[in-house]
Amino acid sequence: MIRILNFVCVIVAGLSCLALYHVSERTRVARVELSHVHRQIAHERGLTAVLEAEWGRVAEPGRIQQLAQTRLGLEDATSVQLASFDMLPRRGEAAPLSTSPIRNASVVAPAAPRASVPTHIAQPQQARTYRIAAVRIGM
Amino acid sequence: MTKSPPAGTFQRRIVIAAALSVAAFALVGIRLVDVTVLHAGKEASGVAAVPSTLRADLLDRNGKLLARDLPVDDLYARPHTFWNKEQAAHNLSKVTGASEARLKRAFHGSREYVLVARQITPDVKDRVMSLGLPGIEFQTGGKRFYPEGRGAAQVIGVTDPDGNGVSGLELGLEKRLRNQEPGAAVTTSLDMRVQYILAHEARKAKETLDAHAAGGIVLDVRTGEVIAMVSLPDYDPNGPFTKADSRRNMIVQDVYELGSVFKVLTFAMAMEDHTIGLDDWLPIGAGFKIGKWTIREAHHMPAMLTARDVLAQSSNAGTAQIALRSGPQRQREFLSNLGLLHAVSSELPETAKPLYPHNWQQIQTATIGFGHGISVTPLAFAAAAAVVVNGGRKITPTLLKHPGDARGAQILRPETSAIMRDLLRYVVTNGTGRNADVPGYDIGGKTGSAEKNVNGRYVAHKLLVSFFATFPAKDPRYIVFVLIDEPHGGKGGVLSLAGHTAAPLAGSVIARIAPILGVPKEPVPPDAKENS
Repeated sequence: MIRILNFVCVIVAGLSCLALYHVSERTRVARVELSHVHRQIAHERGLTAVLEAEWGRVAEPGRIQQLAQTRLGLEDATSVQLASFDMLPRRGEAAPLSTSPIRNASVVAPAAPRASVPTHIAQPQQARTYRIAAVRIGM
Repeated sequence: MTKSPPAGTFQRRIVIAAALSVAAFALVGIRLVDVTVLHAGKEASGVAAVPSTLRADLLDRNGKLLARDLPVDDLYARPHTFWNKEQAAHNLSKVTGASEARLKRAFHGSREYVLVARQITPDVKDRVMSLGLPGIEFQTGGKRFYPEGRGAAQVIGVTDPDGNGVSGLELGLEKRLRNQEPGAAVTTSLDMRVQYILAHEARKAKETLDAHAAGGIVLDVRTGEVIAMVSLPDYDPNGPFTKADSRRNMIVQDVYELGSVFKVLTFAMAMEDHTIGLDDWLPIGAGFKIGKWTIREAHHMPAMLTARDVLAQSSNAGTAQIALRSGPQRQREFLSNLGLLHAVSSELPETAKPLYPHNWQQIQTATIGFGHGISVTPLAFAAAAAVVVNGGRKITPTLLKHPGDARGAQILRPETSAIMRDLLRYVVTNGTGRNADVPGYDIGGKTGSAEKNVNGRYVAHKLLVSFFATFPAKDPRYIVFVLIDEPHGGKGGVLSLAGHTAAPLAGSVIARIAPILGVPKEPVPPDAKENS
């Protein structure tokens, strides 16, 4: 009986050793992976930092203004061209178009290129003209 | 036959084996408890820590990035490992841009380590690695990058190659930038949209008027926050320094005799002391004699003016008389209370002490009344002018975001401040500040055209022009103070005066920044002309 007990103890001890080794090895591998992930995170953070800095550079107001003026033909709005919401007529209120500062303006939206539109989507008919109210105060 | 050991020996061995087993399992159990309970959640040793930047980011008040450390490497070489030092020097020079001659000399020297290049970017690092040279080592560091470039160069400042602050906020906030948690940032009071507009308009004015320098400041009169600060010429903090660049920040580092904008303070003193009524008449025409001196006007004036028009038309003689009614001692005390007789303290390390007469007599009182005989920094003047319009309470200029009302001690009565706001509006509607008016925005302000003192003499054609504006004048939230050093306006210098140079500059700045800052717009009369 004692021998059996000893044998079982030895087996259990051996299995425990194996199990411990297995856990230890898994831990070591996990630590290596963790270290790798940490390095990866640090690398990604570094790249994000560079990207954010690059975004800050390309979105610099001077560059945006230059692009807006040269590519889009935009100009600074003067104060008389600006209005706040409380200056706009409410829905249903009369807004005489010819005598008040509120005038009509229109913009032509170009038709989308046909080639890029899938056949199952309805094709745009023509260039559409949208009428918008532009606030022109004091003109 | 061998003799078997006695039964007691077996039992003793079993007990020893059992004790050893128990001890072994106990050790394992203790270790398990230690790892899983006592040290639970702690990072295992040996794991590479995430490298943190040396200095925290600098942000504007809206979270826009102003300065950041980007990962770069310093490249070192161990020359004794090279097979061919000449070839290695040539290749490294070609890839990094370092001087080939310097590398050759260093590689043939006795040093074990040679610094090849500092702050190389990741692409250069890749090219160095592709050379396949032995003995190459990289030391990871950071390079300070300023995405806004020249946008706020003097205010933000720069660091040296070792990452230490050298000027501007980089130096002034050195401890704060170094002691931040990784990933944290320091938020400044600057609004880069406003900063850009102020810089853009000031640069236009400087170039158009062929001026030596130009600058300005936008200050929140309730919080003391500096929303924008510009000094031209400036420099590119990311590039090499050139001859046309300047690292001086004229707003905090230079003192000026500001001229007629100082009349605002003289009038505030007079209103506070009740020494004059706004409709009282004062003799102007032939100048004002004081001792052996006569104070004259910069341009023709009527024989008599009301006090209100003395400010609106910027009369030196009239203002001198008003200043003298309070007297030297009171004037000195008043200016001292406004903080104009000592250096302004802010987060910027650059500062300058004001220059004022030690012997402060009647003539000094008269000239200081209209802004001559005392030199202060534009920041100091802006902080004092803020007190005049913000209800009379002291503010301390700050470059850190601080949205709450930071007004301190009451320096002026609120009634005085209200009168001054009306007066400043009157200057813009009926006086020398007309060119600063912007339809829809209720602007008050005052011009200043000061002759510069060159070698002890005031030179008529060398002007420092400035304009102090506050808006909305009824309940001011911001002040804009702009300066132009030696503008060349033509027509015998008449068009160089502040009303034709600094006032339009202030107006065009306000027209662009007021919508951004959310300043309410007044209805514009139909006949109002565009301010362009």
